[in-house]
Amino acid sequence: MKISLNWLKDHVKLDLPLPRLLDRLTMIGLIAESWEDKDGDTVLDLETYANRPDTLGHLGVAREVAAALGLPLEEGRWPVVESSEDTAASAAIQIQDEDLCPRYCGILVKGLKVGPSPDWLRRRVEAMGLNSVNNLVDVTNYVLYETAHPIHAFDWAKIGGRTIVIRRAKKGESLKTLEGREVALGPDQLVIADEIRPVALAGVIGGEDSAVSETTRDVFIESAYFDPVSVRRTAKTLGIQTDASYRFERGADIGFPPKAALRAASLLTQLGGQATRGVLDVYPHPRKNRIVMLRHQRTQDFLGVVIEAGEVERILTALGFSCEPQGAGLWKVEVPSFRIDVEREADVIEEIARFYGYDRIPSVATPLKVGEPVVNRRRERIDKIRRLLFHYGFDEVLNQSFADPEKEARFGTGREPVVLRNPISTRASILRTTLAGSLLETVSYNLNREFTGVHIFEIGNVYFRLNEQPVEQLTLGLAGLGPLGYRNWNSLWEEPDFFDLKGTFEALMAQLRLVPFDFTAGSCPWLEPEQSLDLRYKEEKVGSLGCLKKDLALTHGLLGSVWMAEIDLTGLLAKTPPVFQTVPVGRFPSVVRDISFLADRSLPYQDLRKAVEKLGLAALESFDLADRYDGEGVPPDKVSLSLRFVFRHPQRTLLADEVDKMEQKLLLHLQSAFRIEPRTGGSIDNRARKN
Amino acid sequence: MEPLVQRIDILRRTFDEACRGIADIKVLQDLRNKFLSRKRGYLAQLLEELKSLPVSERPEAGGRINVLKDYIQSRLDEAERTLAATTTASPRIDLSLPGRTRLWGAPHPLMLVTQEIEAIFLSMGFAIEEGPEIETDYYNFEALNFPPHHPARDDWDTLYTTDNLLLRTHTSPVQIRVMERRKPPIRIICPGRVFRHETPDATHLPMFYQVEGLVVDEGITFANLKGTLEYFLKTFFGEKVKIRFRPSFFPFTEPSAEVDIECLVCGGGDAQCRVCGGTGWKEILGAGMVDPQVFKNVNIDPERYAGWAFGLGVERVAMISHQLPEIKSFYENDLRFIRQFMIK
Repeated sequence: MKISLNWLKDHVKLDLPLPRLLDRLTMIGLIAESWEDKDGDTVLDLETYANRPDTLGHLGVAREVAAALGLPLEEGRWPVVESSEDTAASAAIQIQDEDLCPRYCGILVKGLKVGPSPDWLRRRVEAMGLNSVNNLVDVTNYVLYETAHPIHAFDWAKIGGRTIVIRRAKKGESLKTLEGREVALGPDQLVIADEIRPVALAGVIGGEDSAVSETTRDVFIESAYFDPVSVRRTAKTLGIQTDASYRFERGADIGFPPKAALRAASLLTQLGGQATRGVLDVYPHPRKNRIVMLRHQRTQDFLGVVIEAGEVERILTALGFSCEPQGAGLWKVEVPSFRIDVEREADVIEEIARFYGYDRIPSVATPLKVGEPVVNRRRERIDKIRRLLFHYGFDEVLNQSFADPEKEARFGTGREPVVLRNPISTRASILRTTLAGSLLETVSYNLNREFTGVHIFEIGNVYFRLNEQPVEQLTLGLAGLGPLGYRNWNSLWEEPDFFDLKGTFEALMAQLRLVPFDFTAGSCPWLEPEQSLDLRYKEEKVGSLGCLKKDLALTHGLLGSVWMAEIDLTGLLAKTPPVFQTVPVGRFPSVVRDISFLADRSLPYQDLRKAVEKLGLAALESFDLADRYDGEGVPPDKVSLSLRFVFRHPQRTLLADEVDKMEQKLLLHLQSAFRIEPRTGGSIDNRARKN
Repeated sequence: MEPLVQRIDILRRTFDEACRGIADIKVLQDLRNKFLSRKRGYLAQLLEELKSLPVSERPEAGGRINVLKDYIQSRLDEAERTLAATTTASPRIDLSLPGRTRLWGAPHPLMLVTQEIEAIFLSMGFAIEEGPEIETDYYNFEALNFPPHHPARDDWDTLYTTDNLLLRTHTSPVQIRVMERRKPPIRIICPGRVFRHETPDATHLPMFYQVEGLVVDEGITFANLKGTLEYFLKTFFGEKVKIRFRPSFFPFTEPSAEVDIECLVCGGGDAQCRVCGGTGWKEILGAGMVDPQVFKNVNIDPERYAGWAFGLGVERVAMISHQLPEIKSFYENDLRFIRQFMIK
């Protein structure tokens, strides 16, 4: 809301430097976003709030300033030049839909000469950022910016009949607005009509046919109160927002219409017109001002400071409230009609706090009562995942939740997306069903900016519909391409492969203590089936990892293998890991034995692993694949494998004999389960842990 | 056996002789091979000769050989250590060459800032609560005292789904859900993604992160709101930062406040400051006492309980504390930007 300081001074005798005034305004909640000097005036742009339509005019702001500075408010005197003609004799008002228009006032001003505005009027209108049109139009704007109450002027000669009717529009009616737009009307819209047709959209905009023009001589000034919701709906539905609708939809002062009409009449008669006698005021069910009971103790309890009774009364009175003491510590507060925001005791306390000064309220730490435990295990585990990924060299990224349906379709996730009804753009019209799309864009963005290797992850929701219901699934997405780490003068700059990716997730599952987990054939639609796996915990799929399909990589301009993963964290974090327990450190020496053999190339290592596990040797502490060789000397359909077994007994030193037997047992077991050929010489006795 | 024992002694003397004044590692290595090589070393030869001795004499002779072996071993090791100590001091390695660093992934700045905020509130006994991003009108607006068709809704431009759900415009719905579920005392913060129907510009995006907080208990006052938020801001921005609470309006709080901190760039000293526009202040968060209507909506008696709440935009806080002019830098994910936060 633009506020001219000169105009403000009409209503309150301000005499303080601008910075101090701005500071006072700020501390009562009227902050100036900017200000500029203009023709010997200073115009502020004040931030106003949806619940304070009274501050959308100079008079209302002056009231606040006067209260803040302890100065009197001068509402001004509005003398009217009246003719002998009674308004009631010349015009009539008929409210048909009182629910949408509880009060309607009007007055006629005749004998006007439309022309340029006098300087003082033009300057005020221009200070508000408007162009001066003519004296008549400028006066209607002047009244609005002064009193915050919108009024409308009809060219009386263009009104059919002598009765103004306020009613819902009939089906099939239409109106050509001041903007020149023809709008179709219906019973949802309240209109101002003459005896024949609608002439204005109530509280929103006037009609072109009844508008004032250069030739207008007599005008009918409308000053009314319209239902805020009705005005808002009409303005929204028809897409017309005006200074008037902006104020009516926030709630006008129902006590003010006759005054606004008089104010307009006063100004127009100063410009040469003559007003008819008396304002027509149709107000079938006058509303009483609201009464709120205020407890002094409550003020203190709520604000945490004692404000003296005298100060409470002074503040409220200065703001136009009247307070009547009702015995000790209780007031009956009458709320003025322009304060539509004040309905309850809390609202009155806010007024007291505002003018007492937030800066005078002490700062006291909130007393702590121990309630429920505050630890959020889920977030702690998410943080564990993040730290692990940092350790593995992945940088964290965040992307917006929106996706382009066309691009998203390339991933073929098979998920039904959540579609936005009013998206910002068609390229952001759904919510992402996978993190892959934005991760790949991030990869290629960085490859275009001096990076050779990009390894990133994001933790965020993906969204889709399941049985029509929207589902939000917290997801870990990961993508890596090119060498990892720093290029250094004396170290290799290596490109990770599938097993780096797999190792990352093995480590992640171990970190979360979700073991044992399992990998099965990959089912992710955007990963190469031959180069991807699903990660499972307790048979349940929790995600996939592997190499991005080549065509998708090319679509994103990416050459080389893009290693990606997507893990459902909602599912994963819902699993309860076993309680952490330590295992006693072995006190007796271990014995390490390697078993080497030739196996079919097609034999999955996983099968070997499971076979060994199945044997359940008590003294077998651990085992691992120590070597894998398929070069020279190994038949093309075979591969040479060395399994390294670590044996240990918890209570004593193992005998060589026992270990020999276990080794033998393992070998026989593997031989019976798979087609393998043991290799001699590969076996070493490694009691001393030396080769 | 005699000759063998003699030869052991001779060998010992020979070794002592050779061991004197070893000048470099090469000589030492030769010596080690000569004496200790498993195949052709002198000691290996002696051990070979053991076989020619009668079985009864073998243990003693073997023992002597082992003693000598241990002796040689330890002398050589000692010599090696001495050599190593002198060679490391030699200028052959350029120690000014850069060290070998490992890459440590960088956290996203918004997550970092969120965690810094969370940590301060966690230290004051606040719990972290989360809730859905796709919400109903009830939780996002009505329960928070936004009547249908109220113009206040214009300040929270909303993205809707095709089935008339909406993307939450703030994390306040989480506050409602927690109050519905739990009795006071309540002391929570609600971090998360929020959405607005905003055309992207330098300081706005249709999706951003918020942290909101809520306290509900008996005897909570506006002074508590001030005290706790001041503590938070001073911990975050530094003990000396100036803070201002000024009246504002939110449908869900009464009284409402906006909180400004002094401009970190000009401190109010520059009328042309591009960061604060010359006002000397930057708005950092919104707050207020929970509106009694909100309490009624969740069946908490506003006569018995009071509460305060606040909300802040993480991007905004990050932009102010790191003096970043453009919100989009958070979502471009340029690793040259993100990696700077590795050391924060």
